Amino acid sequence: MGYLIPEVLLAGGALLALLAVAMLPNAKNLGSWIVLLAMLAAGVDAASMWGVTAKLIMSDTMAIDKYSILVTEFVLLAGASSLLLAWNADRFGAELPPLMAISVLGMMTLGTAANLMVVFVGIELLSLPLYILAASTRTRAGGEAALKYLLLGAFSSGILLFGMALLYGATSSLTFVVYPAITAANTWLLWSGLGLVLVGIAFKLAIVPFHMWVPDVYEGSPTPVTHLMAFGTKVGAAIILLRLLAFGFYGQDGSWGTLIGYLAVLTMIVGNLLAVPQLNLKRLLGYSGIGHAGFLLVGIATHSVDGANAMMFYLLPYGLAAMAVFGVLRLIEGQGDEVTLSDLRGMAYRRPWLAAVLIVGMLSFAGIPLTGGFVGKFFLLQAALFASQPGLAVGIVVGTLVGLFAYLRPLQMLFQRTEVSAKVQHLRWSVAGAVVLGVAVVGTIGIGVYPAPLVHIVSQSANFYWLTGG
Amino acid sequence: MLWIFLLGIPLVGAFVTLAVSNGVAKVTAEVIAGIEVLAFIAFLVGPRATLDLSWIPAWGIRFHLTADGLALFLLGLTAVMSLVAIFASKADYGRTYFFWVLFLEFASMGLFGAVDLFLFYVFWELVLIPVFFLLTGWSGARGRLAALKWLIMNLFGSLFMLIGVVAVAVIYQQNTGHFSFEIASLTHLAISPAAQPWIFGSFALAFAIKAPLWPFHGWMPDAYGEAPPPITSLVAGVLSKAGVFGFLRVMLPIFAPELARYQTGLLIWVAVGLVYGAFMAVRQRDMKMVTAYASLSHLSMIALGIFSLTAAGIVGATFLMVAHGLMVGGLFLILGVVEERIGHREFNGVMGLNQGAPRLATYFLFFALAALGLPGLPGFAGEYMIIQGLVAHEVVFAGIAGFVLVVAAWYMLRLFQGIMQGRPNAPAVADLSRGQVAWLVPMALLIVVIGVWPAGITSQAVPSLFHAVHFVADRGGKN
Repeated sequence: MGYLIPEVLLAGGALLALLAVAMLPNAKNLGSWIVLLAMLAAGVDAASMWGVTAKLIMSDTMAIDKYSILVTEFVLLAGASSLLLAWNADRFGAELPPLMAISVLGMMTLGTAANLMVVFVGIELLSLPLYILAASTRTRAGGEAALKYLLLGAFSSGILLFGMALLYGATSSLTFVVYPAITAANTWLLWSGLGLVLVGIAFKLAIVPFHMWVPDVYEGSPTPVTHLMAFGTKVGAAIILLRLLAFGFYGQDGSWGTLIGYLAVLTMIVGNLLAVPQLNLKRLLGYSGIGHAGFLLVGIATHSVDGANAMMFYLLPYGLAAMAVFGVLRLIEGQGDEVTLSDLRGMAYRRPWLAAVLIVGMLSFAGIPLTGGFVGKFFLLQAALFASQPGLAVGIVVGTLVGLFAYLRPLQMLFQRTEVSAKVQHLRWSVAGAVVLGVAVVGTIGIGVYPAPLVHIVSQSANFYWLTGG
Repeated sequence: MLWIFLLGIPLVGAFVTLAVSNGVAKVTAEVIAGIEVLAFIAFLVGPRATLDLSWIPAWGIRFHLTADGLALFLLGLTAVMSLVAIFASKADYGRTYFFWVLFLEFASMGLFGAVDLFLFYVFWELVLIPVFFLLTGWSGARGRLAALKWLIMNLFGSLFMLIGVVAVAVIYQQNTGHFSFEIASLTHLAISPAAQPWIFGSFALAFAIKAPLWPFHGWMPDAYGEAPPPITSLVAGVLSKAGVFGFLRVMLPIFAPELARYQTGLLIWVAVGLVYGAFMAVRQRDMKMVTAYASLSHLSMIALGIFSLTAAGIVGATFLMVAHGLMVGGLFLILGVVEERIGHREFNGVMGLNQGAPRLATYFLFFALAALGLPGLPGFAGEYMIIQGLVAHEVVFAGIAGFVLVVAAWYMLRLFQGIMQGRPNAPAVADLSRGQVAWLVPMALLIVVIGVWPAGITSQAVPSLFHAVHFVADRGGKN
């Protein structure tokens, strides 16, 4: 049972924080401190398990391996950075830290899931707190975002659950890791079930054409919550998609590999294309996040160890860049919830260091060398070409080119000399925000300049050797 | 070890410049660029240095830089032109400007030194970023558009080249069973005939856009026109060499057989650009544009030398790259001074500026004569070698190149006469200041030195081009 200590620590932290904020309503940041420490403890404990040999626990419903450990670290980074972005901001409500902890717990559960029921529990644990958090500023936009997210989330959960039922009907098992061994499965039911499950996960991952909810929800939610959605949810949904397909359906890449490949190209291009005309930065990042989900799908579509590694690798630079950009947004927005392109005017002259952070984050999104984003794209290209799928490689390049337009416009705004926007003039640094930005910049450039350690780590974690081409 | 200094001085210096106050940023940058020139001189007299470190072992990627004869003088060109550009910049541009200039120097140094394909690509994209921000923040009214055009057009080529880079490495891995991005080991690849033209094209497109070669010069008029003069001189003088340098550094070793197969087509392509650039230069009314299109034409001349696939042509191209960098860089700087004095870039009829500003006119004439290929100055030596390389087997293209030299004299002298000679119809302008002469004299001296002693460069370059020359000899002694 020692394998679930990180989850237990985080769940305990969430409950304790919930009690603490209820009993000591005047203690500033108490809940945040409790959750942050629980996250740190969980992270340290998970790291200490790195030498584990892969095994199934809890009656074969959960898998503990290097993959799940790495996922745990990623989502804890997402959770901790979101928490730090919300530091000292009472207007989000005292219940924000425990809710974030529960959401992160859901993501960690997804990392270990080997059983469809656990997948569903993980997705619901992840989503339910986010529905509440989206409305935590109690603004009109926040309410609208929460309602949209709730309705579409419930809808997609229903589809997911229906698909799982069909899969159960086809195989008489909910433990998907044993599916390849079941030869007597009813193929028709199996494929229908898989299709519906894919749709359900595609909603969470915001794959075109299931991406409609993203911009409104991102725009209406408080920035720290948007960051958790952009980083954490994306990690959770992407890694469960990979785990499900790589473990449960690896024999039939001919059917789903091609489908995922087309979805990947579509998502990369459409997501980035829609990001170009956006004036609200959170909307822009929402669409760009859709585009990045497309890049992640490339790794899955190649159906190879390289692809799995590449997808796993891509998650971290993406998340770090999101930390940099959302961190800057959080500092600019101050007491508001909205940052538009014109709020960035003149930042390079008035706030050069903050502008530098934004530049690093955006360039990493765009995939420029010496940032982590470049190595991630390079890794994906390599996986695509090793899998003899030049179409995917061209898709990556076209998606990146389109995305450039979206990322360059904010950067050009920074150098607008004419007038400095009011928000930039009255901006105040916060220690917690500075920590997030520091980690993001050091991480982004660190991975870009010396990616060898991370390459080594992911090559151990997503080492699904039974995949073709490995 | 020397390499660490050569890369480290501008990189660390860039951040130092960012940390000092705006008032002393220019002086700081000057000192750093000066130290970099000294470091390069140490390079020149010291042993031929290389730096070879393991970088991403899982993919066989190495941090491998070397200063062979091909790269050595381009590194020198980068060091000298960066120093001159910083001298010629206005102090009130602020520290961020000088940060980007020094960062550009760092990236260019890496680009010319890299012999690992991955590393080459990293620097290849990295040089785009400083220029993008310099165009965005410190250029004319349409600078922002120029910046976007510069980055998007160049990345369009570069990203497809990235597919090519990865494809080459993947093919190598499939051929041999292990990874390597070392350019020297990527020769003799068994590329499938279906993929061959695509991979070849992905590299050629990226190099052609960066140079730029016709018809991929869409970004050039805006970027050259809008950038402040020091940046134009750096882009035209140094970065444009990166494109043609790519043909020599990357394509000649990896795609030697393909280059031979497509030779006639490539020659026709660059010959069209050669003539197009020259005639576009003749009909421009904007003095910066005359030089821009002249530069386009010169780069086609360099490419013509490379695609001649003869030893003489390739050595001539290598030489002309360095010479052209100094000449065109200097010309753009002088035009910057003229523009600053008269307030616009048009030249209608004659303006007679030489009456009031004789020193300005003299230096202008010197650089113009160098650019049009006057014997004794380096343009002539380079063009002579290129034509020599073409005469033996591609005499038609030799004829075209010779014809374009005549056109070059036409547009350059027209520019000089239009601005400097005749009865003054514009108010007299101030002559060059002492500070400006201070950086023009060393440049002019350098140009004279390599003009009268081209062997100083070519004798170094030939051993490095051994592979290429060897390849040419294999094809039946076409040299």
